[in-house]
Amino acid sequence: MREIANLALKLFVITAVAALSLAFTNSITTDRIAEQTAMENESARQGVLSQAESFEQVDQSELQSIAREAGVENPEMINEAFKGLKGSETVGYTYKVLPKGYGGEITLLVGISTDGEIAGVEVVSHSETPGLGAKAQEETFQGQFTGMTTESPLTVIKSGSPGENEVQAITGSTITTQAVTDGVNAAVDVFNEMNK
Amino acid sequence: MKSFLKNLWNGIIPENPTFRLVLGMCPTLAVTTAAINGLGMGLTTMLVLIGSNVMISLLRNFIPDKVRIPAYVVIIASFTTIVGMLLQAYVPSLYESLGIYIPLIVVNCIILARAEAFASKNGVLDSFADGMGMGLGFTLSLTVLGSVRELFGAGSIFGIQILGAGYEPALIMILPPGAFLTLGLLMGLLNKVSNKREERSRVND
Repeated sequence: MREIANLALKLFVITAVAALSLAFTNSITTDRIAEQTAMENESARQGVLSQAESFEQVDQSELQSIAREAGVENPEMINEAFKGLKGSETVGYTYKVLPKGYGGEITLLVGISTDGEIAGVEVVSHSETPGLGAKAQEETFQGQFTGMTTESPLTVIKSGSPGENEVQAITGSTITTQAVTDGVNAAVDVFNEMNK
Repeated sequence: MKSFLKNLWNGIIPENPTFRLVLGMCPTLAVTTAAINGLGMGLTTMLVLIGSNVMISLLRNFIPDKVRIPAYVVIIASFTTIVGMLLQAYVPSLYESLGIYIPLIVVNCIILARAEAFASKNGVLDSFADGMGMGLGFTLSLTVLGSVRELFGAGSIFGIQILGAGYEPALIMILPPGAFLTLGLLMGLLNKVSNKREERSRVND
């Protein structure tokens, strides 16, 4: 009995010190981490909509109802939207979309300017296969979307030269390509609905 | 000083964690899809190994033998989490490149194995050397594995194109089967080399 009490006490001391250290570290780092994440998000938005100087978040519930009205298949995919401003003028919108890729959810950022052109697309995070779907993060893939219009939905082609609003699939990763394209199309649908 | 170097060297070649101790197989197979991933994972693991070995060694007389495993796990997991949080807050660029490996390291059995086999029974300086040596050995193995898989699976090493555009990459190399194949073949090769050396030294005696 004595021995068990001794073991339990020592283990308790170890876990208590561990918990205290973790709580302490958490308290001193939480704000900094939140700051860092906010800065990262801001610069990511800038990356897909370079014309904008500042961003204003679109109300979440409003966004969801717009997505539903736009006929997006699963509106929860549209996670966030920001209005891009230059001074007081709206220059475009950025959308955070979460389509389902081959290995899981893909976090996509789509920037669309007010004149109906895709300003930029960035695959922020993914669980796709390295060397295959992971190529979606390369500029050669992402850059394809820049300049495409919001007039017609984007389609994926496996071979041949891509025409207007056609996306060249990554070799061996049509599922990833289709997921990203679906995500961009969803953002386009929401944008069109917002600008009716 | 001598024992420090001996312990350091031990983890790099004689008792290399990947090819001799065969530990930490999960991250080894999963992360070596490219040379840079292997290097990053290896170095991050080394830092955690050094830290955990030192801590366990410092506490070796306090931790009761019968509850040593839960004690080690709590200490290692807390230490790794704290390092991760500090990196994320103060050195975000480093966290960007290495941060993804941190949750994987907590479940790396090399850390627990060295705590149990070495740090709990040796002094702080020796434990430091062991952590560093095992970490360096692990880094070496992962980088070699990653390089081989990247070379045949993507035609490059560390992102630098080595094999020309004419080479059709064997995608299987960057998928799980490729990991097993590369690891197995490399291990076989190393065993053959060391068996030959042993034979030669035996013949010479």
